[in-house]
Formats: sequence, C-alpha cells, structure tokens
Amino acid sequence: MFLKDLFSLAHFSVAAMQEVMERARYFKDRDRNQTFKSLQGKNVAISFWEPSTRTRLSFALAVQKLGGTVIDYQPEMGSEKKGESIEDTVKTMLSLGAAALIFRSSIPGLFYEIAPHVELSFISGGEGCYQHPTQALLDIFTLQQRGVTLQGANVVMVGDILHSRVARSHFYALPAFGASLTLVAPPVFLPDALVPPGASAGFSLEEALPAADILYLLRVQKERQGVNLLPSLNAYASLYGLDQKRLALLKKDALLLHPGPMNVGTEISYEALKYLERHNPERVLFQEQVANGVYTRMAVLDLLLAGR
Amino acid sequence: MDLVLRGGILHDPSCNREGPMEILIRNGRVEALSPSLGPVDTPVLELAGKLVLPGLIDMHVHLREPGQEKKETIATGCAAAVAGGFTAVACMPNTSPPVDRKETVAYIKERAARADLARVYPIGALTAGLQGQELSAMTELAAAGVRGFSDDGRPVADSTLMLRALQFARVLGLPVISHCEDLSLAAGGVVHAGATGYRLGLPVIHAAAETAAVARDLLLQQEGCGYLHLAHISSRLSVSLLAWAKEAGIQFSAEVTPHHLLLTETAVDGFNTSAKMNPPLREEGDRAALCEALRNGLIDVIATDHAPHHAAEKEKDFISAPFGVSGLETAFPLLFTHLVETGIIPLSCLVDCLSTAPARILGVAGGTLAPGAPADLVVVDPRAEKQVQNEKFYSRGKNTPFHGWKLRGFPVLTLVEGDIKMCRGEVKGMSDAFIPMLESIFKEGRL
Repeated sequence: MFLKDLFSLAHFSVAAMQEVMERARYFKDRDRNQTFKSLQGKNVAISFWEPSTRTRLSFALAVQKLGGTVIDYQPEMGSEKKGESIEDTVKTMLSLGAAALIFRSSIPGLFYEIAPHVELSFISGGEGCYQHPTQALLDIFTLQQRGVTLQGANVVMVGDILHSRVARSHFYALPAFGASLTLVAPPVFLPDALVPPGASAGFSLEEALPAADILYLLRVQKERQGVNLLPSLNAYASLYGLDQKRLALLKKDALLLHPGPMNVGTEISYEALKYLERHNPERVLFQEQVANGVYTRMAVLDLLLAGR
Repeated sequence: MDLVLRGGILHDPSCNREGPMEILIRNGRVEALSPSLGPVDTPVLELAGKLVLPGLIDMHVHLREPGQEKKETIATGCAAAVAGGFTAVACMPNTSPPVDRKETVAYIKERAARADLARVYPIGALTAGLQGQELSAMTELAAAGVRGFSDDGRPVADSTLMLRALQFARVLGLPVISHCEDLSLAAGGVVHAGATGYRLGLPVIHAAAETAAVARDLLLQQEGCGYLHLAHISSRLSVSLLAWAKEAGIQFSAEVTPHHLLLTETAVDGFNTSAKMNPPLREEGDRAALCEALRNGLIDVIATDHAPHHAAEKEKDFISAPFGVSGLETAFPLLFTHLVETGIIPLSCLVDCLSTAPARILGVAGGTLAPGAPADLVVVDPRAEKQVQNEKFYSRGKNTPFHGWKLRGFPVLTLVEGDIKMCRGEVKGMSDAFIPMLESIFKEGRL
C-alpha cells in the first residue's frame, strides 16, 4: 500500500504501524552519532491553527533531524474567519515547493476531500476531536521501548473520551498491537455509541484499576467545561482523579501514560504525582513520551515522504 | 393542449384505479378515462407501458427566493420540480425576508406564475420574522394564499405560542407544519449521535432533540385540535410516538424524506458534507422503522425537504457546511428503485404519499386523475436505467448524496393543467432542446 497522508489510524494497516515502530527504533538507536538525509532538499510546511508546544516542536525537530527544511506557515484560515480557503492554502503550499503539510486544527476533516487530488502529504498533528495519530504511535513506541508486551495487556483509559482525539487514534493503535482497551469516564464523556468494537467501558474507575497493566490518563480540558458537562472540575476530580487511594488499587508495576499537558489536581492529584515521582519514577512515562515523540514523527515522515 | 395518452398503466390511489387506461385531456382537465376511448380528434401519445400517475406534490421545499438566489430561484426550483415529476410544491418561509407579510406571498406567486412550470404554494411564517416571539399575521397571510404555517428550521420553542398557533390555524383551516427539534438539545450538533459521528469526533445531535419535540407537539395538538403536520420525521422513537398518538386518538399527519428512508449515518463517513442534513441521517433501525411507518400508514407523506445550496457552501468543512439536500430531481426514481421494485412498499402507497396525501393535507387541487380533475400528471419510465448526475440538475443546488446512483423510474413527461412542462428530461423554457423534443415525439406519436 502506498501511503501519502496520515489523518487517521483507521486507514493505517497494522504492517504500516509496525513499520513506524521499526523506523523509530532505528532513528533512536543511531541518533547520537549519525545524521540522516531522507528529507534532504525537501520542504515541509507546519501550520498549527491551535495552540501547541510539544507536538509542534517535536515535528519541527523531526524534520530537521531528517535533513529537511521547515516552512512555518500560519495563514488565517477556517470557515468563521474571513481567511483563505482550504484550496488556497494547499495551492500556496505547492507553490512553495512543500512536500508535506503538518497541521493541527480545531476543525476536523479540513483536508479530507482535497487530499486525494493533490501531490502533497497531509500529516495530522491533531484534528479537532477526530484523531491525533502520531500521539498514539508514540505511546506505543514508548511502551515498546519499555519492553512492555502489548499483546494481551489491559490499557485502562480514563478521562474526557468524547472530546479526545488521542483516544480515537488509540481505538485503532492499541488493538493493532494486541492490547485490550477499557474506557472509563462519566456518561457525558462516554456515550455507548462511541465505544469501539472490542473495547469495554464503564463508569467506575475503582472497578477498572485493579486489572490495569497500563493506566492512560486523558486531559480533561478546562475550556470544555463552560457548557455544563459536569457540575465542576472538582466533581470530576473527586470521582475520576488519580489520588493516592486509587493509586493503591493499581498493580504495583502498572505504568502511567498521559498525552500532556497535564492538569495536576484534575486527572491526577498533586500528592499522587509526587508520590509516584519519589517512589516509582519508572512507572511514569510522561517524559519518555515527549522524547520518543521526535523519533516516532521522524519515522512517520520517513515512511510517508522519503523516496517520494 | 388537448391530448390523449394511450398505452400507459394508470396508478391512481385516490380512486383505486390501477391498470391500462387511455386518458383524454381537454382544456387542462382530465375529461375521460377508459381502457379504450375509441377514435379521438386530438393528438395521441403512445406510452408503451409507461406508468401514468397523478402529478407529484412536494409539500416541503426551500426555493430560497427572495433573498438567497445564489442557492436557488423560484424558476430553477420549479424547473427541478417538473424535471422530477412534481407538478406542485409548497415552499417554506425561511427566505430573506421571511414569508411573514402578504407582499412576500404575492411576490412568490408572481415569480411562480412567471416561471410557468410547477404550481407553488407558499407556506407562511408561523411567528413574526420566524423569531418565535409572537404569532405572524396569520389571517393576512391566509387571505394572501398561504397553504400552511411553519417556522421550519427555527422551531417554536415557546410551547404556549405553539398551542396558540395550532388553535388559530384551525380557524383558518390550514395546517401547522412543525419542524420538531429541541434546539437546546441539538445546539451545535452536526451529525447523529451514532457510531459514525462519534468516530469522526463531530458534535452530535441526539435523537431526543427530535422525539422530545414530537411528543410536545402531539400533546399540544391534543389540547389545540388544529391540523398538525410533523415535518421530516427521522427517528424510530418518533415513529413509536406517532403510534401512541394514533392510539390515543390524536389527529396529525407526518412526513418523511427520501434520504431518511434510504440512507443511514454511515453516509457522512469521510466528512461527506453532501450527507449533512437536519434532522441528521440516523441508524438502520431508524431507517427500517420509517419504511414500516410508510407501510402501515403512520406516516402519510414523503416530502423531499429540497434544500439547495451553492457549491462553495457545501465545499466548506463538515462543521461549517450548511445542512440540506437537493431533492426534487432524484426523489421519485430513488423511491421507485429502492422501495417499490424491492417490494418494501407498493407503488400505490408511494403515489399516495407523494401526491394524494399531500394534496389532502394542503387542501389543494391535484393528487387525483379522476375525470374533471386538473390534468396534473406525470409519466414515468419504469424500465430505463439512468445514473444520477448532479451537474445536470436544473436546480442550482447540486448537493446530493445520491450522485452516481443508478436508478429506474425517472419521469419522462410532466403535465400541469394539461400543459407539457417537461418531456424526456427537457424542461419548458429552460432547455433549448424542449421544443425539438416535443416536435419529435408528436411526429412519432410516442413517448
């Protein structure tokens, strides 16, 4: 299969995901004493229409490490603003000689229709509530780097599943590597029709924790709380925040992932985080996720762009 | 013109006529029907087994004029109507300005008369300016000729106001057409709350946004005893509520669209804006329940909710693109191919839902080919297969999720008051090929 774009892991085969893992490993192993050239002479545009620090930096670094040039392109775009159209943006990219557009947008599906018709790779850095494919891939890579056997592992994901693009990418990534997924959230964040086939779902974190091999904490976004989804963030934290009492329900070697940025006091209590950092720092993978993001994104760029 | 249609198969549920029939049309009316009329002094068209139906009536269209002529005009909308076999349409009042004054009603009627294609029945605004605050000038609008009242697209949230509207429209003998939607529940949603919408991460519309409003309106109808017509019913539970209301003796009529009968939410996959509509496409269980409701008569009418949009608007991203489907030119062949040929409903049921029932609910002529009735009729070719090509629509709205579908049952002749408005896809006054086409069929004496 010839891959050009990365919008969704639904369209990425298991083989392609495995290929990303292999290439990420390759880049990580050789990063210290080797330079790479697979994007040499290639321009890669980065347009983030939503705030981001780590994902944007991570992509930019990945392009540079592969010898490519980053074009920082930030047009006013989107339907509500009187900015340029999707088509104009794409034309500009092509005129600038860009081989790819790495983008982030609060509106999902912006480039879905145009993508098959143009010679430009579209790589999502997170689209609305749709998908965030490289985040899911870097999570898998991080777990593999830790020597975790994903086959048969139980991943408990807790948080605002409804608005999470990370969760939607993991609906494909985790099962592809044989892990089973348990979703935990209050009903407002976890409608039945959202639960993918094969995953289990529940409203009680206490019930799910003892069986978790990996606990994936999702961000509960403050900016979404203005619309009466929950009585308050504190109400959420009291039922779903990882505090020390709930921490004690986890297996002693259960690992913790978070896509960042973390709201300490909401999805995890300050005390629980400090306790873990002091006594079991090896169980907390947050920093490794960030570091591995660069290699995973190099792998994705290499897979989609090298040789094209 | 005076004319005899020979060799056609008549399907007229208004008088239970089904079978080979010759039809004499004189002075714009059906003068005689007989298996064999004998010698006649008018031109004769041989139909060779094609179907003859009372002209279709679409009681829910958006013609966009005045004010939104980029999307559609009364002339292009009426051309789309006769191309699709519709001899009459009822147009919704959400134009700019809205149809809440008699001058706007007169304007629409004048534009329709000038187009001289389909009959156009304006629907008046239920509340002034469609603002949901106070009742519109209902008597004035009725006197100007509206055939019903609706705040379509901006349903009346205030229940007392809705009750008053039903009570008053009853005096005028006109239906209140309700777009059932609890706006506070639907707010911001663009797609049904089902697996596809959730997978795409789009804001959802819960089915309860419709069902809660259906329940309210049925209960208000029970108090108000007006003529309640429920527009574009889309969910399984709304159908259950209709069954309950019937059981309880509440009078109402209800409609469903072709797209809700044929498609489910999976059509929006890939952020397909041509399948973005309100109410949204729902699930297979909903679709099946709607078909069953047609069969058992809980739903009376099929209406297209023809909602043309400019191409640039539907090219926007899924969240910003407008709701709606251009429906007039595909409705009959879609339903014929997918509901009648498949045996889901008999042809008589389809014709009743698309012609006889809407004529009855609107209280207008048509819906029948009984002798003396206006010669509003359509001839359909049940055999020839054609592909839907949206670029060939007469409508300015090319927005359809059915582009490329291969269908049978396309209308080939549309008569309004005995006048040929469409012949083999060519529309009078809109297509240069219309007159040569007429000349050629009358020379051959067959359609």
